[in-house]
Amino acid sequence: MEEEDDGSLVQRCREGDLKAFDRLVIRYQKPVYNAALRMLRNPEDARDVAQTVFLKVFEHLEQYDPNLRFYSWLYRIALNESVNALGRMRPHEAISGNEIDQTPGLERQLDSEQTRHAIEQALMRIQPEQRSVVVLRHFLHLSYEEMAVILELPEKTVKSRLYTARQLLRDLLLENGVC
Amino acid sequence: MTELRTLALIHAEIDGELDARQRAELARELLAEPQFRALRDDLTRVCGTLEGIAAVEPPPQLRASILAALPPVAAMPAPPRRAAWASAPAARWRYAALFAGALIAATVLYKASIGRGPDANEMAGTMAGSAARSTLIVDTVQVDLGQLTGQARLYRAATGLQLELQLIASAPVDVLVASGGRTQRISGLGRPDSPGGPRTAIALPDPGPGAQTVDLTFLVGGRQVGAAQLRVPAGD
Repeated sequence: MEEEDDGSLVQRCREGDLKAFDRLVIRYQKPVYNAALRMLRNPEDARDVAQTVFLKVFEHLEQYDPNLRFYSWLYRIALNESVNALGRMRPHEAISGNEIDQTPGLERQLDSEQTRHAIEQALMRIQPEQRSVVVLRHFLHLSYEEMAVILELPEKTVKSRLYTARQLLRDLLLENGVC
Repeated sequence: MTELRTLALIHAEIDGELDARQRAELARELLAEPQFRALRDDLTRVCGTLEGIAAVEPPPQLRASILAALPPVAAMPAPPRRAAWASAPAARWRYAALFAGALIAATVLYKASIGRGPDANEMAGTMAGSAARSTLIVDTVQVDLGQLTGQARLYRAATGLQLELQLIASAPVDVLVASGGRTQRISGLGRPDSPGGPRTAIALPDPGPGAQTVDLTFLVGGRQVGAAQLRVPAGD
């Protein structure tokens, strides 16, 4: 059976059809939750943010511009909510990524699981705006054009921010002997 | 070639955006500059690992908790289009007259019902309906008790103070609602398959001029599983 497109589901939501909204939740709960999880690292915070995102979407559907892809609008809200959640965190929560093991790297043999863990920690040490571009590109697999729309930035700025973020991640991993 | 240009080519290669000419240009640069080669290898590894981090499944209760937390249907965004007849000036008056008539009828019914008062302590919840339009949210609490999730919300409607419960549970839920010196019991909530979904609304006694609280006690299978409190600010 052919999947109903986002635009038509949104239209039905605006007409009060809760089942249409449920379809959108089913379709997007996973990427929204994962985006929040990569931004915040804490699964409970990510769940709370994901819930808030969908509620905001529901409450502000009349503000949605149909010229924008629905998921662009949704992911923009998800990133903004994640950054807001980071701002509300207590300092020790917000810097949890600083727990990187400082053992000199040359002697450490890291398998891929450890590398993944180290990258997740390094992600928490870069600025949220840099983390946002990594999340959009590498976890949500969006194009630069889509990222530019979501972040409301020129494509060139998005690329530059992503390049910087990647190099910072590489430097942090090198610093810890992972790279 | 400048360092910036080389870096841009390295990132473009990682993104799979190089054409044949750029690929050859980068290959020449990497051959001549070992430090760029090392950087390219590191960045490729970092990005490869990022790409390899699998997406995780959201918590199974996320969808249910989102749906349970949705505001009253009355608060749904209005459809962007209106029926053509409603845009005509004469029809607008007709529309307003209909609304005014409905409001008067609702007021008369409400006055008649509060005059009698409840016959028993136990009452079934009523489904939120069109009477909940033009609402003002007074207070909201999230309910997350493991086996019972959802939300309780106080709102002011045209007919007075209303309590709306949106609960999802694996077994029927009873809620004791204590406010204004009166306790009501709402039975059989929390079933997603119940008619109209998991949303139930009841009218509460009007608060006095001071602040008031509404205490909720949740029972699943007759056993208390938690409690919550909603507040009506003074003068609300």
